[in-house]
Amino acid sequence: MRTLVVIQTTGGFLRFFSLTFLAPLAVALAYGERYDAAVFFGAAVLSSAAGYAMTRGRQTRTDDLKRVEGLAIVAGSWLLLAWFAAIPYLGAGMGPIDAMFESMSGMTTTGATVMRDFSDYGRGLFFWRAMTQWFGGMGVIALFVAVLPRLGIGGRQLFFAEAPGPTEERLTPQIRKTAAALWSVYAGLTLAEFGALMVAGMPVFDSACHALTTLSAGGFSPHPLSIAGYANPAVEWIIIVFMFAAGANFALHYRTIRGEAFALPKDEEFRTYAGIVAAAALLLVVFLRPEIPGFAERLRHGLFQTLTIVTTTGYASTDFQLWNDQARMVLLLLMFIGGCAGSAAGGPKVVRQLLIARYTLLELRRTLHPRGVLPVKLGGRVVSEDVMRGVLVFFLFYLLVFAICTLVVGALGADLVTALTASIACLGNIGPGLNAIGPMANFADLHPASKIVLTAAMWIGRLEVLTVLALLRPEIWRGARFRAPEGLT
Amino acid sequence: MRIIIVGGGEIGYALARELSRDHSLSVVDLDPEVGKRFSALDVAFLAGSGTSADVLGRAGVDGAGLLIACTGLDEVNMVACAVATGLGARRTICFASREDFAGGDSNAETVRKHFGIERIIWPEAQLAAEIERIIAAPGAIDAEVFADGRIRLLEFRLEAHSPLTAAPLAALHLPHGALIVAVKHSDSIEIPRGETQLRHGDKVFVMGTPEAVAQVTPQIQGTSPDRARQMVTIIGGGDVGFRLAQRLEASRDVDVRIIESDRDRGEMLAGALRRALVLNGDGTDLELLESEEIGRSDVLVSVIDNDERNLFASLLGRQLGVRRIITRVSRPANLRLFERVGIDVALSARGAAVSSLVHQIQGGHAHLLAVLEEGQATIVEIAVPAGFRPQALMHMKSPPQSIVGAILRGPDVIIPRGADEIHPGDRLIVFAAAQSVKLVRDYFGSV
Repeated sequence: MRTLVVIQTTGGFLRFFSLTFLAPLAVALAYGERYDAAVFFGAAVLSSAAGYAMTRGRQTRTDDLKRVEGLAIVAGSWLLLAWFAAIPYLGAGMGPIDAMFESMSGMTTTGATVMRDFSDYGRGLFFWRAMTQWFGGMGVIALFVAVLPRLGIGGRQLFFAEAPGPTEERLTPQIRKTAAALWSVYAGLTLAEFGALMVAGMPVFDSACHALTTLSAGGFSPHPLSIAGYANPAVEWIIIVFMFAAGANFALHYRTIRGEAFALPKDEEFRTYAGIVAAAALLLVVFLRPEIPGFAERLRHGLFQTLTIVTTTGYASTDFQLWNDQARMVLLLLMFIGGCAGSAAGGPKVVRQLLIARYTLLELRRTLHPRGVLPVKLGGRVVSEDVMRGVLVFFLFYLLVFAICTLVVGALGADLVTALTASIACLGNIGPGLNAIGPMANFADLHPASKIVLTAAMWIGRLEVLTVLALLRPEIWRGARFRAPEGLT
Repeated sequence: MRIIIVGGGEIGYALARELSRDHSLSVVDLDPEVGKRFSALDVAFLAGSGTSADVLGRAGVDGAGLLIACTGLDEVNMVACAVATGLGARRTICFASREDFAGGDSNAETVRKHFGIERIIWPEAQLAAEIERIIAAPGAIDAEVFADGRIRLLEFRLEAHSPLTAAPLAALHLPHGALIVAVKHSDSIEIPRGETQLRHGDKVFVMGTPEAVAQVTPQIQGTSPDRARQMVTIIGGGDVGFRLAQRLEASRDVDVRIIESDRDRGEMLAGALRRALVLNGDGTDLELLESEEIGRSDVLVSVIDNDERNLFASLLGRQLGVRRIITRVSRPANLRLFERVGIDVALSARGAAVSSLVHQIQGGHAHLLAVLEEGQATIVEIAVPAGFRPQALMHMKSPPQSIVGAILRGPDVIIPRGADEIHPGDRLIVFAAAQSVKLVRDYFGSV
């Protein structure tokens, strides 16, 4: 592995990323928050200076990026950007562990917070929080691939190392144009939600923040009570619609917009996703009868909470920590599914669970027909053994990370349900869990070491486990060279 | 008529033998060795490529009435047709073996027109379609449909306990709308009369409306109809097996399993088929057949490209207790043997394609609908000319060995009895023994 190319590429991303501090800077100025504005300015200067320092010297070519270099760049960039994105939280008075937790929770669109009292923080910071989620939702690397021409064909490696889901889907032959197409759909839907929320009566600033965190399946809200704080059914219905869209594959949205009317319903993963949402919402409607008497209200909250968990957004339209055990059980199981591949959602993804279910059922059939040729199929096409193995290995590692995380958080003093749900909520980039970290509570009281582990879980979960874990193999680092040899530069 | 045949394989040879008596034939094949086989026939043989303008020119393509391309390669056949059309052949017929050329969609149609091909014949697909029709008619050993499905023809072999063997035909009460048009008794086909007594082992041909034919089926078999769900086992996942599985699995009532010995081909089949169960193994492997309980199948279809193995697999199936066995025969000479040793239906893909093509070329204005019993009998459709004087069937001196099985009058279908009349403008579905086809045609044409 050529360490230089990793450092230079990552530094290039950081230089570009430093520009994004200008948006919250403007918001802070507009609301008269002088001190916050100064913090954002400082963050912009610091990150851009660090970026320049890293990209100093002769440029290495990125055309011939190796797979492992791609993984290192993607994993490294997410970590580095989260560090620099934490500067404003430090400036607002958070400790370094909390700031890193909040920042990583933002970048990975998790939505778990350590903020105890929302009135301590300015509007600029809330906007920054929402914006980091928006950049993280469609993927910062995808954005860099779309807008930074110098990545060249090396961008392809990076794009697929970051993109969620087991399949490589391209809308256009050129990966740059694919990334740009996905980002434009994403931005368009965000604008649409922004408009709809304002029409429904939400204040402009709140509408902007929620539009940014709905489409990214992030879940940060500037309101301490999340969506429940607005007590506005129209707002909840609008967010239900856009969460559902955020959990579906954006490539399919793109094709629908381009005139392929049935692109979504024709897709098997989307149909399964819609089926899971409908079934879970129905269960909640049944289980919540003692809690919520009115049917319309029950349906709204059932759908809202189902979507907020499946799409890994993490809003709350009501405090579901107070629901009965049956209803909370449904939510807990939904945490292990996640949205569709190619969406802004986190989690293991519907398509993986679908493939694992098919594989298991076929194994049953194979015991009856030992000579049967029984391939796993998706959408009428055979799923290759390689992909299937990748899916199984992914899920096993996912469970392994989940187990380690639960063990640590539990050992450091959290109760069983808190430890379980905090781990899956962070690993799956969902946000709130149950008990001590319910939707109206926060992660501030967890042990500092737990917060560090959970921060790592968010990072690992967002990059779909293997991208990060592959870098732990010692042979990658053994041959690492800091300086590229002559001729290769 | 001057006819050029490109490709001297089985199909080319069978066509040449049938057509060389009445037409002037040239056969083109790359391999000079093939020519030796044709030296016994009255044809001109040219060694060379059928896609070469020079070779086709020497074969007299300019002004030729027909070019038939039947090499084993679809691409060669298409190009031969295109070149021949360009050089002045009046009509071209192209044999195909793959869906991308012969499929019925509009793209295939465009390609066909572009290459100047008049007709594409796809023997394997025809065979698959025929096997599907037979499977869809419980108990029947052959089945055809005419007039857009308004008329069906089923062929049965009478069992010992069949009620039809109880009394002469006149005393049997067959439903209205169904007619026994012919009986085959030890290799000879006859048109039955009222006093005809049917026997165990006879083949009977029943024509009628779909509803009436469905009614008559249990009466012929002497048993209640099969249970609703059918299990079909296909041995051999080649072109025919694959097409057949595809057609069968479209119906919810049929469980299809297909046994294929080649691992890669099996994987391709499993990928392309939606519901059918693909088993990797040899269709003649008794252990496999037993462990998969093949004996419980309602129908076993053996369509391997090898007569001996087909026969062996079919006989194993019979031993395991399969009720109906349908087998593909490659060499026409084996057809009769197969039926004699207990195969219910033996079918030849190339044979059927060749005989229907020969009839089409020889046929003139009578429209040929089907060829039965290796060419012993045919079903033709005849348009009654405007000058025809209406008369009842029983007063007509129609040619021997022929019978009007159905009358199509506008939207109506009449399965006629003696008192029914024939009017000008009617279309008749006529069953005729091979030697009577010309007489039938002349009879209705001349009056």
